[in-house]
Amino acid sequence: MTVDPNAATQSFPPSGPAHRAPGPARYLVPALVAAAVAVGLGVYGKVHDPTGTAFNLAGFSSTGAVKSWLASTAFFFALVQLVSAFMVYGKLPGPRWAPALHRWSGRIAFLVAVPVAVHCLYALGYQTYETRVMWHSALGCFFFGAFSAKMLLLRSQRLPGWLLPLVGGLVFTVLTLIWLTSAFWFFRTFGVTT
Amino acid sequence: MKRPGPLLTLLAGLLLGLFMLSLNATTGTKSASSTYKEKSPGVTASPTPSRTTTSPSPSPSRAAAPQGVYTGRTDDDSSAVAVSLRGGKAIAYFCDGHNIESWLKGTVKDDGSLRLTGDHGAKLNGTVRGKQIRGTAEVGGGHYAFTLAKAKKPSGIYRANSQVAGARIVGGWIVLPGGKQVGIVTRDGAPSAAPAIDPETGAVTVDGQRLTAHPVTP
Repeated sequence: MTVDPNAATQSFPPSGPAHRAPGPARYLVPALVAAAVAVGLGVYGKVHDPTGTAFNLAGFSSTGAVKSWLASTAFFFALVQLVSAFMVYGKLPGPRWAPALHRWSGRIAFLVAVPVAVHCLYALGYQTYETRVMWHSALGCFFFGAFSAKMLLLRSQRLPGWLLPLVGGLVFTVLTLIWLTSAFWFFRTFGVTT
Repeated sequence: MKRPGPLLTLLAGLLLGLFMLSLNATTGTKSASSTYKEKSPGVTASPTPSRTTTSPSPSPSRAAAPQGVYTGRTDDDSSAVAVSLRGGKAIAYFCDGHNIESWLKGTVKDDGSLRLTGDHGAKLNGTVRGKQIRGTAEVGGGHYAFTLAKAKKPSGIYRANSQVAGARIVGGWIVLPGGKQVGIVTRDGAPSAAPAIDPETGAVTVDGQRLTAHPVTP
């Protein structure tokens, strides 16, 4: 395929091949929204002065513990996501309500992750002072971008069959890495406390 | 455009995020409400009877109580001193970076004079004049005079509390303008020079464990 420098903008990644392509918008919009979300969160985290504190939940010793448990909850539902996705695609035997399970476990995982992210960005900001923190910051922003893309892609019909599993898998992988660099680290460092 | 579900999910997340953010912001301003009055330290506050004051006639000098962080060194250059003022209260940290340190607390009078006290009979007296504090301190049997200048973030006083390998760790730092730091880490009461903190984040590694030092305000 030759590149025509004067062609209309079609510079979205080749992951959306011209597979009966009725307009690139349905890949381009999610991709752009994802980029905007990820970059926006990162910029907010970097520019905004981290406050160091935010309100805590009763019954927990520290915000770190609260966040670790919330993140672990999100990760648990992400695991449910993985299994239920296999069920939806018929790779695993599953009940008829597997699609509903997939939708709702995903919603819960997302909504549980939001307060954690708000605290991260508000109180701690985007930081790079060590490898773990750097990856956590970058992936945390990336996650919400990727998740937005996944949600928007769901609304399009006739996507290439591999696209949703790919993006979904990406979202799951990134969430796993985020969890490993935060809650898992927290529990290993401070013990499994509430 | 068939399925509204995913959009609703995103919207719910966005709203939740904004809600949490506003919750944070409002609880945050409650504790820091007085920082907004910083603008007019010397000027007699003319049009701003602060809304938070409960007394029917807020005295003007009360509204003009000095705010913020002042940092500097003792006249003999042996130690660093920092004072943080807010809402008529003051907290100070005196530190030589080796083994002499003291945390002091007290109030700021309307005339700008400070009278702070700490453990083991430590005392710090001073007067706020515009962007300077001039005063004296008695810490660890020594007598020091100092002049502090108003400083901006990330200059200021930082403190970390933790438990590392069973020992109680208390770290105190003064970050001076220009980035120089003076700090002491006390392990179960035994002081020694502290490793440097990252003033942007407060991150510091003590005995192999990463701690976070938080800015200290009264």
